[in-house]
Amino acid sequence: MTTKLRIGLLRLTDGAPVITAHEFGFFAEESIETELVVEPSWANIADKLAYGFIDAAVMLPPLALAAELGLRGKRQPLIIPYIVSANGNTITLTTSLVEEVKGLAARQNISTVAALAACLRARQTTLGVVHTYSTHNLLLRYFLATAGAEAERDVRLAVIPPASAVEALISGQIAGFCAGAPWAEVARRAKVGAAIATSCDIWKSAPEKAFAVSAHWANEHDAALAGAIRAMLRAAKFCDDPKNASYVAALLSRRRYLDVDAHVILANLPGGSAGGAKCGFFSGAVTFPWRSQGMWFLKETRRWGLMDKDSDARELVTRVYRPDLYRAALAPLGEPVPIGDWKREGAHDQEWSLEAAPAAIAMPPDSFCDGAIFDPSEVWGGTEAAKMGALHK
Amino acid sequence: MPLKILLVDKDTNRAEALSGKLTASGFAEVQRVPGGDGITKALETAKPDLIIVDMALPDRDVLEDIRAMSAAHPVVMFAGGDDPSFAEEAIAAGVCSYNLSGVALEDLKPIMASAVALFQRYRRVEVELAATKALLEERRLIERAKAILMRGRKMTEPEAYRFLQKKAMNENRKLREIAAEFVRHHEEQQA
Repeated sequence: MTTKLRIGLLRLTDGAPVITAHEFGFFAEESIETELVVEPSWANIADKLAYGFIDAAVMLPPLALAAELGLRGKRQPLIIPYIVSANGNTITLTTSLVEEVKGLAARQNISTVAALAACLRARQTTLGVVHTYSTHNLLLRYFLATAGAEAERDVRLAVIPPASAVEALISGQIAGFCAGAPWAEVARRAKVGAAIATSCDIWKSAPEKAFAVSAHWANEHDAALAGAIRAMLRAAKFCDDPKNASYVAALLSRRRYLDVDAHVILANLPGGSAGGAKCGFFSGAVTFPWRSQGMWFLKETRRWGLMDKDSDARELVTRVYRPDLYRAALAPLGEPVPIGDWKREGAHDQEWSLEAAPAAIAMPPDSFCDGAIFDPSEVWGGTEAAKMGALHK
Repeated sequence: MPLKILLVDKDTNRAEALSGKLTASGFAEVQRVPGGDGITKALETAKPDLIIVDMALPDRDVLEDIRAMSAAHPVVMFAGGDDPSFAEEAIAAGVCSYNLSGVALEDLKPIMASAVALFQRYRRVEVELAATKALLEERRLIERAKAILMRGRKMTEPEAYRFLQKKAMNENRKLREIAAEFVRHHEEQQA
């Protein structure tokens, strides 16, 4: 018997594995009848999940946590059993501001971010992010904070839908924006903006979109959920191979998906020209729902006062992030899966090997731009940390 | 005092109809904005009690941000927990609203009900229009395919039509697809 699964997504390159799994019939082979619903806003995604118009979505992890807590609209219990993508975000500034920042950095021999902070302080500037509860908002704030610049005090942050960002750059409403692919490339090709940094310059191998599923749907359809995870993993391997990039770009460029020129999309796919802003879909355990990464998003959301500190962070992250479901789904395939649910984030500036079963997984560097190491146990205090167990070095 | 409403809608006809209806009722003062750049400015100047927004616009994410900007005024999505079925109806119709100044749900209900009804009516018209367009396109393609056959293979009009029909039946496909493919193929050969 087939199970229906309605998945919401936005016009973004990082939806590639879900679109590919749908188009290639990978979901169908797992007896899942998928319907992809492309939405114009994150708010629509969250509301349609809350009111049962979609069952799952390719979603921003901080937004999934906010929706779970009822911080925007109706509360909706969600789970994250799979991560769709890593990296892919770019901070784009107007071409004149990029020249100014780079010039200042060269003249005073300071880092790009220090020069950016100085330029932002010099005059009232507004930068765009795609949503309050977005990875983009958190990464941009983190980046600026390493140079002592703070949102509201030194720079105004405004929410700008990425499809409107090019227009907003031209009109002068914003001087730059942080958004996912392909929108930085769109701005670059329109010659109105240039990249100053990518997600890799802030957090190497930063987790990006999550596959968020209504907890109710997941409870009712555990077999179908496991099938969906396998289908997405299969597609993720395809999308992660640079050999397939032009094929994936052509698929995504269709009007019903991104409706953007395939060459623009190609830049941010594996093997593309977008440098540190390329999306990752598979290698380096990208798809594993690390609870420690959920905790990092939660900690940063709280850091900027976007979420109060009443809720039990560990309980929330454990409830939402479900590596157990990921493991159970992939066990029949013999696919290597991480042994631990938590790891210290940012501890590696070199390639490293992750303890996994049945075989270790080769991992890329995962360091933060300021060299910080995030130990999730810090968030809930030392006594609890002892119980956490399998925490990777 | 009338309720101040900001209506965010790109469809000018629909926006006009709704704003006319609400203004005529006497309890609402409506300001319209098509979305995009103008939203933030309109919010600052109009200080609305209620925002009604077309869900097909990306601007909802911009609106959600005003929660952070105006901490004093809670931004509540209409019928949040109070009346889920009504919120569902609104979402299905493609309209959403934000209650900015804590006006009672009962006062907002008639306003949202007219918005929902109007959005539904426009959606129906859109669907009908799309169906009509598809039908016209199908006729156009079949006419083109017939003309190509009549000219190229010296068929009469009924012969050409039967040829296409037979091909559709043999391949178990729609006549429209066959005609479209035929025309495309012919154009490629010409090019």
